[in-house]
Amino acid sequence: MDFVILSLVMLAIGIYGLLTNRQLLKVFISVELIATAATLNFVMLATGQGLGQAFLILAFSTDTAVSAVILALLVIVARKYGTSDIGKIVQLMQQKGETEVEEQ
Amino acid sequence: MIPFVVEILSVGLIVSAVLALFLDEVVYAVAALSGTFLFTAIIYALNGSVFAAIFQFAVSVGTLSILFLSGEMLGDKPTKKTSSNRVLALIAGGVALSLPAIFLSISGVSGATSDISFGDALWGTRGMDVIFQALVILTVAMGIAIVLYQKKKVAS
Repeated sequence: MDFVILSLVMLAIGIYGLLTNRQLLKVFISVELIATAATLNFVMLATGQGLGQAFLILAFSTDTAVSAVILALLVIVARKYGTSDIGKIVQLMQQKGETEVEEQ
Repeated sequence: MIPFVVEILSVGLIVSAVLALFLDEVVYAVAALSGTFLFTAIIYALNGSVFAAIFQFAVSVGTLSILFLSGEMLGDKPTKKTSSNRVLALIAGGVALSLPAIFLSISGVSGATSDISFGDALWGTRGMDVIFQALVILTVAMGIAIVLYQKKKVAS
């Protein structure tokens, strides 16, 4: 059993999801998976030792802050455009940009 | 102890991660993500990192509750339900992806060697801890400032 390969697989799944998913919440889930892969690698390379676990707490606090900011941005975007689909949001942004140019 | 329990947990970890990404319904995807967090916490605990397991569990409970709420509020309803064949295919894919971690190994990778206890590591490295915590608080403050600025902009 090799936890480095396990965390690499998790990282690959997360990056694939980040690149291919169109739902904002799925993108957030992908970020969580990437963070989990990083912390898994971190802890398992220092199994049972205090240092690895202590630094994991720092990683968790950073991860939580990142999650809070991502969720805040997600709520703003979803409320502004009425959808959480990235493709639709881009379309709406382009339409809005064209309307603004026509108005000018 | 049950034999191959860590291997079984690793398969569960990857399968739940795959399901979390590729299930169409956001609520089901979040439920699968809870499985990912739970398996991770159990793997930590079984490998002697009990504090890490507790923190993983505590942080993931908070994240999941927020994700469930935002999934219900913001998630677009899918036009069709995920078929059972697709779910089975996703599970099979997850099992296949977890096989390299079970059967392969990277030679030459060794763990960090340090005999510092958890308490010493946590409280003895407070300098770095304080700097990182300050960065985290600054990031959160910036995020809140952005949200408030956007709200003010929309209101005016």
